[in-house]
Amino acid sequence: MSVITLNDGEAVFDCAEGDTLLRAGLRAGLALPYECGVGACGCCRCEVTAGEVANLWPEAPGLSDRDRRKGRVLACQSLPAGDVHLKLRLPPQPEPAIRPVRHRATLVASRQITHDIREFVLRTDAPADFRPGQYALLALPGLDRERAYSMANLPNGAGEWHFRIRKVAGGGASTTLFERLAVGASVGLDGPYGLAHLRTDSPRDIVCIAGGSGLAPMLSVARGVAADPALAGRRVDFFYGGRTPSDLCGEADLAALPGFGETIRYHAAVSDPDAAARGGLRGPVGPVHQLAEAVLGERLTEAEFYLAGPPPMVEAVQQLLQVTHRLPPERIHFDRFF
Amino acid sequence: MKQLCSTRDVPAGGCHRIELTDRPPLAVFNLDGRFYVTDDTCTHGDASLCDGEIDCDDGVVECPYHQGAFEIATGRPAGAPCSIPLRVYRVEVKDEAIYAAIDETEAACP
Repeated sequence: MSVITLNDGEAVFDCAEGDTLLRAGLRAGLALPYECGVGACGCCRCEVTAGEVANLWPEAPGLSDRDRRKGRVLACQSLPAGDVHLKLRLPPQPEPAIRPVRHRATLVASRQITHDIREFVLRTDAPADFRPGQYALLALPGLDRERAYSMANLPNGAGEWHFRIRKVAGGGASTTLFERLAVGASVGLDGPYGLAHLRTDSPRDIVCIAGGSGLAPMLSVARGVAADPALAGRRVDFFYGGRTPSDLCGEADLAALPGFGETIRYHAAVSDPDAAARGGLRGPVGPVHQLAEAVLGERLTEAEFYLAGPPPMVEAVQQLLQVTHRLPPERIHFDRFF
Repeated sequence: MKQLCSTRDVPAGGCHRIELTDRPPLAVFNLDGRFYVTDDTCTHGDASLCDGEIDCDDGVVECPYHQGAFEIATGRPAGAPCSIPLRVYRVEVKDEAIYAAIDETEAACP
């Protein structure tokens, strides 16, 4: 075990063998800055002022050449070798967070959702404790790096964690999940992580925009609204963007929620016009951010936004909201995995 | 053009925040005697870039919270997690007074 000292003593925490600086700090209840936890976003950059760390991924895209020149490291990719002193800035008013815990989980069921998305149900002995919209890091057999997947369900005492994972051609993690793991298999599950969770203290209407396996966290957010008596009657506009009609999903899940068709509405768009024509689709064709802009109209500037999906989709929505409509970033919630 | 401050308010290699009543705050930067005006709030989160670190060699300002970065002259994102450009404004300096065209709405950068 190593002792980690932040900013010359502003905080001190223990880091267990094999844990990264980021995860150990979050487990200790510190609001270390981060989003993705897997080396992509760069939010957990820090400086090691004393001691040594091993870098799990020196080429991680979260660090720029300037960062490397300045000797910065990513807390999420650093294993301490002995005691370490770190410099990084803690947020002035951190939101309370659920401390992440390492579990052993068993695959108990899976079912196909679309042609390339499957739901995997894992079970842990301890309750599944997380906020709607958060993710967990799964350690799968045979893979050296853990993968981040978001939960689609709600926290529960039964220890059930539902993931909706898209099969990626040549993707090691999804190939393992889709082809090699059988019911009864054991995997490592570390969580919860992520800051793009449902804010129950905001009085604003809610807009969820999802693409690909971004369905999972957005579904969890919508389910979280429906399940919270304090949010009864809150309007939720749920947008899903797919390339082809066979990619569209989520409507059946939302239809099971009270208020569907009234306070909770589903809107979908297909981006490939040829595929839409071949599939006989009558609905909107085009990028999902254009559909959101058209459907929301003047309500757009008053809403609270949750986003999850492929990087180009998230970037396009961000452009729409922040550049075109000048929404402040505090009202747009997503964890940057790119 | 709106008058923001005096050149003496902005130290070389530093910046000066301008609070305005009807719009988000602005940041005035001084890079080796050249003045630039941008939005002061990071496009990634609610942080003041005037509290960040300015790297004159690279012409970059770093957000104090996540150390995301922007090119001061163009507003172009220069470090994750920032991806939305910072708005920059045309500047004129007359008799030590700094003016910016804050009502022009051209895009910050391509």
